[in-house]
Amino acid sequence: MPLAYLSDYSWDDVIPIPQDDGGENPLAPIAYQDDYKTATGYLRAVMSFEEVSERALQLTADLIFMNPAHYTVWTYRARLLFALKKDLEEELIWVEEVGRQFPKNYQIWNHREVIVDKYDNPSRELPFIEEMLELDSKNYHVWSYRQWLVRRFDLWITELAYTDRMIEDDVRNNSAWNHRFFAVFGKGDDVSQSIIDDEIDYAESAILKAPQNASAWNYLLGVLKCAKRPVSEIEEFCNDLAAVQTTEHSVDVDTDQITSARALEVLAEIYDSRDEVDKAADAWTLLAEKYDPIRENYWKFKKSQAIHRLAATA
Amino acid sequence: MHRRVHRTVFRSRAGSRSSNWSSPTSTSTSTSTSTASLVTTSCAKKSPRTRKPVSTNPNTRVAIAMTAEQNNVHNAEVSVVDSLITESSTAQDEVVRLCTGLIIDGQLPLLQRQLHADFLKIPMSFKLPPNYTGLDASKPWLIYWPLQALGILDPDSLTGDILSRIGPSIMACLNETEGAFGGGNGQISHLAATYACLNALAIARDEDVWSQINRERLYKWLMSIKRPDGGFSMHVGGEEDVRAVYCALASAALLNIITPELTEGTAEWISRCQTYEGGIGGAPDNEAHGGYAFCALASLCILGNPVEMIPKYLDVDNLLRWLSVRQYQPEGGFSGRTNKLVDGCYSWWVGGCWSILEGALFGITKEEILWSKADLQKFILCCCQSPKGGLRDKPGKSSDFYHSCYVLSGLSEVQHRYSFSLKLPGAGSGEWSFMWTCELELPDVVMVDEKNMVGPINPVHVLPAGIGERMHDFYAALDAVAA
Repeated sequence: MPLAYLSDYSWDDVIPIPQDDGGENPLAPIAYQDDYKTATGYLRAVMSFEEVSERALQLTADLIFMNPAHYTVWTYRARLLFALKKDLEEELIWVEEVGRQFPKNYQIWNHREVIVDKYDNPSRELPFIEEMLELDSKNYHVWSYRQWLVRRFDLWITELAYTDRMIEDDVRNNSAWNHRFFAVFGKGDDVSQSIIDDEIDYAESAILKAPQNASAWNYLLGVLKCAKRPVSEIEEFCNDLAAVQTTEHSVDVDTDQITSARALEVLAEIYDSRDEVDKAADAWTLLAEKYDPIRENYWKFKKSQAIHRLAATA
Repeated sequence: MHRRVHRTVFRSRAGSRSSNWSSPTSTSTSTSTSTASLVTTSCAKKSPRTRKPVSTNPNTRVAIAMTAEQNNVHNAEVSVVDSLITESSTAQDEVVRLCTGLIIDGQLPLLQRQLHADFLKIPMSFKLPPNYTGLDASKPWLIYWPLQALGILDPDSLTGDILSRIGPSIMACLNETEGAFGGGNGQISHLAATYACLNALAIARDEDVWSQINRERLYKWLMSIKRPDGGFSMHVGGEEDVRAVYCALASAALLNIITPELTEGTAEWISRCQTYEGGIGGAPDNEAHGGYAFCALASLCILGNPVEMIPKYLDVDNLLRWLSVRQYQPEGGFSGRTNKLVDGCYSWWVGGCWSILEGALFGITKEEILWSKADLQKFILCCCQSPKGGLRDKPGKSSDFYHSCYVLSGLSEVQHRYSFSLKLPGAGSGEWSFMWTCELELPDVVMVDEKNMVGPINPVHVLPAGIGERMHDFYAALDAVAA
């Protein structure tokens, strides 16, 4: 067996367990490098007798650098760290190195959660999260981890300002908007009407920067719904952005002035909620034909739903 | 509207077309009754409105020549555009540029079947190069993805030899004490691995191997990773998310081991994953995401009658709205999250959500399709085919097995219309995900060249139609005898 795996420890007493891919002609075999082949052979061996040792810990570190997606190694490593009573701060520093080398890896986040939970100290976390979000501002696992952390250590106070910074950098960063919603409503406390007003203002001013930005619109509508406030509250705002010209029974749009198809969609909802189905239908037709044509079928569906409902109540 | 053509019922019934799925080594082409070929044939014969390909040269890359309007596609860029430039908009503009370079008005490329099949057969013929080591903990997926893709693209290429090698390859990932599977030989039991292993074993159609699964142990393991809040962890000490829920439930459904105890609180937990945007996140509070949305919907289809479960646990209006915004103009493909880029894999994750909703909420969606199948077909055929074979995320990316599986599954969704049907024989609880039927999509929704046809799938299990049904029936029959 080629012993390309180099370690500070002696492995003479361990008989590596070779990988059995199944049968004589297995599907999807991988031509591993020798060091990986040897190291995973030792891994299977030490795991089979649940060895708790420094060399096993070293082995997990080496394997993680060869294949950071190897979740079994991470799980074993966490067990070893606790059993050997290792310094967990040191572990967090080491994980940060792994994160920098493999920024797309997501196993580190579950591992970090396990370690930080035990360590019961979040002080390294926000700076590291921030560093990783600078590399990829929409990294799903990093944002999820941040939410766990905020809940676990009651860190709500920093969050609104942080999302503000991220949204300032890219007003279309939907992960940041989602996190903002979490920061406002996630705690489960009653949210005061003045905070709701602030959030509506915040979303509206973001929309004015980029009126087609779905993230800010979703947030605005989400806040209204969560606060049980009527969508009609933003009718004037939408009127301007959609540049609508209305009569009692019809709606048209100034083609040169409209800056947001979403505003027109929200208006359609508002008309519909008031049973002004003629006007809602006009808005949906405009969306289908001109301002959001790929969703033609959806707009037609909204229209026929409204017409059917009206017919049923008439 | 009259719905045409042959109705494919997934479940094989004694004496009726059971040859589809009965023989694990059925490779005969003269009597080939694979669903893909049945559907293709009926499409050709019974669809007078399907246009004939313009060129008679079988090697031509262009299948259908017609204007964008005739073909129902939206190739024009959207008319209202923001001027503010941010990181997101720069990335988006670049993808539009790459895609529009490949979308030629009036032309729809042929599916390069042979090229893709050759690519998909690589894991059955060769050792994968060392750079696949990063997927060494995803071995079952490296087996399942190409099998699922070939199962709908070219089922006859799954020869007896290949099918017979699935069992040993998968059983090498089994942890006997738990009855569950890891991501490779000697790796700890993992739900995603278990799901992929069982799906691969379903495709293998090997009852001897099926008999070796210890369902009691697997059930105990599933209960051991169930969380008090109704969700599941991926593995002991692992993360809890809606993927884990889906993988647990789909596995349990195939093995006919669903119990009230296993599913208690799970629908409620899924419900908590729907966000203010209308989509569904990986866990409560997480951002809405197409992949998790599919896992959530498919899970509800396993937990009970989807006609009741989906509206009971999700805000359907908000979900429909969010799903409809996943499709981008002019690319035609789906994005997974708000303001992210289109990616071929969401052809399935988002397209699969549509399959399920169209099929289960027939009363809500009537005969309507709420999105543009023609545009997704355009995106898949123009932008997701790698010239080297295999399907890809988007132009500029390499093809891989993951994208090949889910892009082709998305193409299948374009070509078929699914419905949930309680009336199938043997209906009962625990079988909810095996009551799906499908028909070919109508040509006035999307023009499909018969040369591009792929087979239908079970939209809950992401398996070729009939495959999961057969595995479930095997265990259900065992349980009937035991009872």
